[in-house]
Amino acid sequence: MKVNLAVYWTGGCGGCDVSFLELGPNLLGVLSRVEIVFWPALVDTKREDLERLPPRSIDFALVNGVIRTAENREMAELLREKTKFLGAYGACAHLGGIPGLANQAHGILESVFGPNFRPAPPIEGYPEDAPAQVLFEALPLEDVVSVDFVVPGCPPPAGLVARFFQAALEGQISLGQVFAEEKALCEECPRKREERRITRVARPHEVLLDGEKCFLDQGVVCMGPVTRAGCGAACPKAGMPCTGCLGPTPKAGDPGLAMLSALASLVRAGEEGEAAFPEEDKILDGFVDPIGTLYKYAFAKYARSLAQLTKRREGMRA
Amino acid sequence: MPETRPRIGVFVCHCGKNIAGTVDVARVAESVSRFPGVVYATHYEYMCSDPGQALVQRAIKEHRLTGVVVAACSPTMHEETFRRAAEEAGLNPYLVEIANIREQVSWVHTGFPATEKAIRVARTVVEKVQGNRPLRPAEVGVVRRALVVGGGISGIQAALDIANAGFEVILVEKSPSIGGHMAQLSETFPTLDCSQCILTPKMVEAARHPRIRLLAYSEVEEVSGFVGNYRVRIRKKPTYVDPAKCNLCGECEKVCPVRVPNEFDRGLSTRAAIHIPFPQAIPSTYTLDAQNCLGIVPLRCGKCVEVCAPKAIDFDMREEILEEEVGAIVLATGYELYPKEAMAEYGYGTVPDVIDGLEFERLLSASGPTRGEIRRPSDGKVPKEVVFIQCSGSRDPEHHKPYCSKICCMYTAKHALLYRHAVPDGQAYVFYIDIRAGGKDYEEFVNRAMQEERILYIRGKVAKVFREGEKVVVWGADTLTGKRVEVRADLVVLAQAVIPSPGTEELARKLRVACGGEGFLREAHPKLRPLEALTAGIFLAGAAQGPKDIPESVAQASGAAAKAVAILSAPKLEHAPEVAEVQEELCSGCGICVPQCPYGAITVDEVAHVNEILCEGCGTCVAACPSGAMTFRNVEDEQILRMVRAALEAADVGV
Repeated sequence: MKVNLAVYWTGGCGGCDVSFLELGPNLLGVLSRVEIVFWPALVDTKREDLERLPPRSIDFALVNGVIRTAENREMAELLREKTKFLGAYGACAHLGGIPGLANQAHGILESVFGPNFRPAPPIEGYPEDAPAQVLFEALPLEDVVSVDFVVPGCPPPAGLVARFFQAALEGQISLGQVFAEEKALCEECPRKREERRITRVARPHEVLLDGEKCFLDQGVVCMGPVTRAGCGAACPKAGMPCTGCLGPTPKAGDPGLAMLSALASLVRAGEEGEAAFPEEDKILDGFVDPIGTLYKYAFAKYARSLAQLTKRREGMRA
Repeated sequence: MPETRPRIGVFVCHCGKNIAGTVDVARVAESVSRFPGVVYATHYEYMCSDPGQALVQRAIKEHRLTGVVVAACSPTMHEETFRRAAEEAGLNPYLVEIANIREQVSWVHTGFPATEKAIRVARTVVEKVQGNRPLRPAEVGVVRRALVVGGGISGIQAALDIANAGFEVILVEKSPSIGGHMAQLSETFPTLDCSQCILTPKMVEAARHPRIRLLAYSEVEEVSGFVGNYRVRIRKKPTYVDPAKCNLCGECEKVCPVRVPNEFDRGLSTRAAIHIPFPQAIPSTYTLDAQNCLGIVPLRCGKCVEVCAPKAIDFDMREEILEEEVGAIVLATGYELYPKEAMAEYGYGTVPDVIDGLEFERLLSASGPTRGEIRRPSDGKVPKEVVFIQCSGSRDPEHHKPYCSKICCMYTAKHALLYRHAVPDGQAYVFYIDIRAGGKDYEEFVNRAMQEERILYIRGKVAKVFREGEKVVVWGADTLTGKRVEVRADLVVLAQAVIPSPGTEELARKLRVACGGEGFLREAHPKLRPLEALTAGIFLAGAAQGPKDIPESVAQASGAAAKAVAILSAPKLEHAPEVAEVQEELCSGCGICVPQCPYGAITVDEVAHVNEILCEGCGTCVAACPSGAMTFRNVEDEQILRMVRAALEAADVGV
């Protein structure tokens, strides 16, 4: 008995669709046991085909990409209706991903043109094939439909994809499951941790990095301590700090805040106490692009002001 | 957590009028009684009174309470009281929490909003206590031995008191003899007892005490462990002289070709490389100072060995590393004087006849380099005009030390007075900012110096001191007359600021004890815990904690000893269980928590571990832990979120 599978791509780069190839020869085994009912990137299936399917007829649907347009949202809702187990596949669907960083731009137009600025519609009205209406902000999948499980990563590493398929084919998926470890990446990282003290914050290209030493000990912000293990510390092993694509560990909460709190704890200038504060502030001032570093993938999910939450609700209604 | 639904009792205290005068306590009790989980709420005049506690105990039994909230004063006041009462009534004490509606509500608000806030505060704590788990204090045994670091008067006193209470003491002193600065002093204020005469009996007692193990010429290398169970590594430097064989004949000293400044005389005399700091030194033996010896390996001179009749000198003596276990530690590392070289205005210490207070003590001392005759260093003449400058380096936040060194007013009066006794036709001048003579018979002593001894006290600061021919010229201002003053003196004595002895900060780091901004060891609380470091089981004595005179040092040493004895004599040590805890299934062992801990309570292998006895529950590691694996018992994230929600919820505050 084959398992019905759907894969769909909303606002993303397409890397997630390609990531299945990472399974290598094992992909053939997987494909022989699934029936692809909907996967526009791979087989010729259209929205109408999906609409024709009876509710809950798809066993597993994997949505990759952020929800950025009204059409994305409609497709997500449609898939939800047709699917038993709907999963967020990749960092965009999981956390908002890199496209979610666009949410920083809220209010830029308003601040330039005044509070009631709205772009005027074209004089002739919107053409029929006009691009879909862009939502107020980029949203992780869980903000528009309920998500049953997550295959995290940017893109999901082969090992975790394999783990998902194994569980899916054996019917072993539990609600809320995240196909990664509960512990942080440091668990898998071979780098040596010694000093646990930051006296300078630097970007990887600004220092001659020691390949054996923990990035944090060298002043390079690594998201490893707040990020789930599961990738085998691929980036740190390749000489780059973790950027957090597998998302925060279950108890970390907002990964940016957790990491910022950890950084503030690690930065030390001289002896403890108020006298060191100005010097420590200076060290942290050297931290370029905190949002892009701390929230590279998770901005849309975690960085929400009250005003944004209100707008988001309005946006949902629109 | 109890399986059944929570049954919380809330007890609102009037605290006489302290709370009830501002907060409508009946309304608080009534409103809180309607919160989910609350099965009983009442209010009472004084909850901390016996009938108040009985009320709580009765309610625990009658209403089968699973948690108690006492809305009253700060938990630092009566948390213990109510927890004990609850325990007697059969409820785990850690299921009792205090809602502070006095310090945080009634004392800081007036009128209507106070009651609303009291209700909100009570409600948050009701939420918290529902998430509390019953806990049990951690227990640990005690090594019944103490370590005293520093062999000055404070350390000697602490060691004697602990030893006399029946416990073993290891007394570590870094120089070759115990005695400290007190051994260098001539006479002591305000009684003018001979310092050595009152000190040496104590030194001898410490040396002879069966329970004191004296390790002179030794330093603490490393300290690990925790209260009741410290492990200490002590480095014992080689003296190259066997104290058991040395008969103090002094022949070695005579043949030694080396002459270096004598530290004990503050450089006013010289000594050989093989020397004894002073005749009454304890341990009573010579020490070969390897650094100044012409050479031991390979042997270059060896003259001392040739003349040593009892064959006490052993060039093969090696440094020893001793590992000891102790239950409590007293730090009595003492002080040093702020260097004259830092005093630009007084000639950077280059004018030979500008000396500091301890150098003058050596000049006054009968065992000093001049046998007690006052002779100035440059040419050995008896100075006829001596200027004493107080607050030299003290009370000068712009250039030197901001604090008052406390002992200088008194010792300067003593110096001037002793000088007048020694040189009856001499004139003494004292420049001072104010006279701080707070102490028993201190004011009288200063008055005696001013009036009976005709010492000229000039209120004002000295601007400049410089050499002119044979004289040392002192320029100053008399702020009482508003006139410039110039004294062409023969000798100037600087009452240099008191600073912590060198190495204090390093030792503090090894022991994870805090130093204040000026480097003195910091006490746990400036008023209520002045004898303790923040780290449990470590106590402070003497000038290491701040400038102090002898009686104060001795008193603090005895106090610290009593505190140490309290630990050493406890059958077992208990430690509050409300500490940090690692969720090992979530910990990746990243180690970010380790340097955060001010108590050194965290170690990491595969995962982090918290030593429950060392942890004082500050929560810094919990905040730093990036993955949320470090938690705080009974202050879990979930509890905090519930509390925040309860505090902010608009609905139903009942007013």
